Amino acid sequence: MTMTETLQNLYLGFTVALAPGMLLYAFIGCLIGTLVGVLPGVGPLAGISLLLPASFGLDATSAIVLLAGIYYGAMYGGSTTSILMRIPGEAASVMTCIDGYAMTRKGRGGAALAIAAVGSYAAGTVSVIGLMLMAPPLARFALRFGPPEYFALLLLGLLVLAYMSGGSLPKSLAMALLGLLLGMIGIDPMTGYFRFHYGLVELGDGIGVVPVAVGLFGLSEILLTAGQAAPEVIKPRLRELLPSRREWKDSAWPIARGTLLGFLIGIIPGSAHIISSFVSYAVERRLSKHPERFGQGAVEGVAGPESANNSATSGAFVPMLALGVPSGPIPAVMLAAMMVHGISPGPLLIQQQPELFWGFIASMYVGNIVLLILNLPLVGLFVNILRIPYPILYPSILVFCLLGVYAVNGSVIDIWIMTMMGALGYLLRKFDFETAPIVLGLVLAPMLEMSFRQSLSMSSGSYAVFVNRPIALVMLAFGVLLLVLSLRPLVAENWRKALGLQGGANLEEKNSSSP
Amino acid sequence: MMTARFFIAALAILFTLSHGTEAQEKYPNRNITVVAPFPPGGVADLTARPVASVMEKILKNPVVVVNKTGAAGAVGMSYVANSKPDGYTLLLALSSISIIPEADKLFDRKPAYNMDQLVPIALISADPTIFVVHADRPWKSVKEFVADAKKRPGEISFSSSGVYGTLHMAMEMLMHSADIKLKHVPYGGAGPALTSILGGHVDTLASGPAVVIPQIKAGKLRPLAGWGTKRVASLPEVPTFKELGYDIEFYIWAGLFAPKGTPEPVLKTLRSTVGQVVKDPEFIATMDKIQTPISYLDAPEFQKFWDKDAKMLADAIKRIGRLEIQEAK
Amino acid sequence: MDRISGSLLALFALWVIWESRNLPFGTFRNPGPGYMPILLASALLLFSVVIALTGGKAERLTSIGWKEISHATAVLAACIFAALGMERFGYRLTVLLVAAVLLKAIERKSWFLTITLAVTLAFGTFYVFYTLLRVPLPFGPLGI
Repeated sequence: MTMTETLQNLYLGFTVALAPGMLLYAFIGCLIGTLVGVLPGVGPLAGISLLLPASFGLDATSAIVLLAGIYYGAMYGGSTTSILMRIPGEAASVMTCIDGYAMTRKGRGGAALAIAAVGSYAAGTVSVIGLMLMAPPLARFALRFGPPEYFALLLLGLLVLAYMSGGSLPKSLAMALLGLLLGMIGIDPMTGYFRFHYGLVELGDGIGVVPVAVGLFGLSEILLTAGQAAPEVIKPRLRELLPSRREWKDSAWPIARGTLLGFLIGIIPGSAHIISSFVSYAVERRLSKHPERFGQGAVEGVAGPESANNSATSGAFVPMLALGVPSGPIPAVMLAAMMVHGISPGPLLIQQQPELFWGFIASMYVGNIVLLILNLPLVGLFVNILRIPYPILYPSILVFCLLGVYAVNGSVIDIWIMTMMGALGYLLRKFDFETAPIVLGLVLAPMLEMSFRQSLSMSSGSYAVFVNRPIALVMLAFGVLLLVLSLRPLVAENWRKALGLQGGANLEEKNSSSP
Repeated sequence: MMTARFFIAALAILFTLSHGTEAQEKYPNRNITVVAPFPPGGVADLTARPVASVMEKILKNPVVVVNKTGAAGAVGMSYVANSKPDGYTLLLALSSISIIPEADKLFDRKPAYNMDQLVPIALISADPTIFVVHADRPWKSVKEFVADAKKRPGEISFSSSGVYGTLHMAMEMLMHSADIKLKHVPYGGAGPALTSILGGHVDTLASGPAVVIPQIKAGKLRPLAGWGTKRVASLPEVPTFKELGYDIEFYIWAGLFAPKGTPEPVLKTLRSTVGQVVKDPEFIATMDKIQTPISYLDAPEFQKFWDKDAKMLADAIKRIGRLEIQEAK
Repeated sequence: MDRISGSLLALFALWVIWESRNLPFGTFRNPGPGYMPILLASALLLFSVVIALTGGKAERLTSIGWKEISHATAVLAACIFAALGMERFGYRLTVLLVAAVLLKAIERKSWFLTITLAVTLAFGTFYVFYTLLRVPLPFGPLGI
């Protein structure tokens, strides 16, 4: 597609997207999405499902624009509660909780929110450009990811964990293993056996990420701080709400890297967007000159993951629009919405329905701008919520957590899971363990195992399948390289200290939460 | 102390009340919930939503679709099977409803629910499954395919939405009827299964028509046959397996169910409502758009259909047996 | 302190291995459902032993502060009550009680504040989510 063609199509798209009616739908979608994202637990999928029936009455383009707006808005909104209260608005915002909340503690909450919004905007816009220009070839590349490639990718994700650990390496790995084991609960997809479900059919699909994330991060935080007059949060004054020049400068590269990373991970069908924020966090930590700042309120730890989140969102649309293939539950719902309106998604969609495709693209630009405008002034409003006396605030937060977690699946079991993970998180933090790897393990486990066994199934038992295929081979080699690099500390002089085997290395994590 | 006593008293009252009775009121007088046991965007969901919205129009009462996902549908199905039979909780289930209790029996598990815990209201749609192969593969007809499969058993692969899932069952019946052995690569849903064949990672797939027709038209997949008794309307040149001499049929059907024990008058209302739904022009148009043919059967005929279908599936499951060790050939 | 956590984790890993005994292990070329859990649990066992053994340099158990334990227990109890009560008593009543107990009994706020806030939270959120957004929330007895 030549440049002029693209520009012409874009013009067409903008005329569609900027029509007042369409703008209204984009705005409504973004608004609802933000609300949905702010509510703990309830994520974009729930929001989209809620509005799906309402969208039936609209024409196709408006419906898609509305639903996409919700998706985007939820990504933006999810960072709000993560930063301000350490409660993940949806599973993908878990990484933002860590440094985002630490920034709030230091009175930089407003700055964190602003950086998250701007980073999301930049990532969203750039990734839409990527979507626009390269959708079909990217999609074809993404299709080449079969089980062996997935396995290599996920293994790489797990190895990246080695870079995420701030404290003791064995402890982080143990947490990851714990998460992986938790992911084993449920029906084994390859044979149909139920594993570790103790007669509860609701555990058939395993423990949901949402109750675990909300419990492990949000509830444990409440448990650790309940009863205080107020957690040690420095309440910022108004002019301190905006990020400092330093913070802007520090965020620039993380935003860029997060965008690229998120987009690439997002286009691969099926991969969870949570991974994109984890990988971004780990990459930022690795590349930073002061890795010990992470966990204390390093702005890179907010900028990177938040950007990665948003560009993964656009990335997820690539297979959906270019091939008509659902790359995850959310694109699947959007495909369904398209089908209900009589649009047949498929490889010919871009050619057959240019107004839909380009209108969609243009509305994503518009949506990003709308969200930026919506979110920035709200920063002041949200930060003021923190001024509410804590003894009143935390029961309210608890109610919202209960509501959010229950609403996802309408299942009381999820509340139980949240409660248990909350208690677990409380204990783990007391005993000086990091909790983020558990979430990563939980997310990765089912996919990791499935890809592994599918690959062996495809090759009828031969392990050569992992090295015979170029993409898989490259990723595995890269993973091995990373592993070797991370083991370098072992041969360093003070290897005990480097590996963080001393218990003291994680003191900062503990100090920031205990009174 | 006052506070404590007050709360204890309140709790005590609540406990006793929670086992109380409800007043008899006209049906329906509050939100009816239709449980779709699959994630949003899937076939169950796509069928449930138009049904619900037209039911709402007719009954003038909110009808809400709720996705209770899990365990290939078992969570949602057992939820409705065990819920109060008052007509406010209904189930829109697919043919897998007959599979799950059988699979449970196979693994010596206590079944999540029994089929006699549910009463059929009506059959709404029945999608004949289609057998597609990747466009790059050489087989142009079922005959060629079967011949090749007999030459190299266990090498040609197919993807499915999961073990003992509907797509797996269809292929299982084909394998039995044609006496061939194929390699099964299960995925976590129809979407990933489709992605896999599009990427060329497996050779064949049994799928509902709606999602594969655009791919067929774009030349990425080639349909060889269908599992219906009639040819699919949008693919008139694709023969059915029955025509080719294989006595198999498989539909991914969707029907509305209620828990056993729902009062007769409520059931009557629901049955007549659904009867009107399938005649509603808005509904017909929507189903047309999602390429799902309406196949309406009222409760008594549906019960017969269901029993026959369930038996067929039960036989297939027993044949498959436990997939402990995959047969690596 | 690390000795304790390490040992607890090790015990957990052993328990997982025990629980997986019924699942077919499969072969190296054909892993069965028991394969991964046992593999992972063994790795966990290894690491937890490492943690326990090298935990000498970590702080003592007694240095962990438990000041907030009473409040934390109350919050947990509230969550458990919510889990039990949500479908038995319905959403609004359960949330009302949870909020009210936390505000009044634990945080000792005034009656006025407690009732207003609890009622607003319970009924307000119910209205927004059930009536406006049609998110299914359970009803309790008396149709509440």
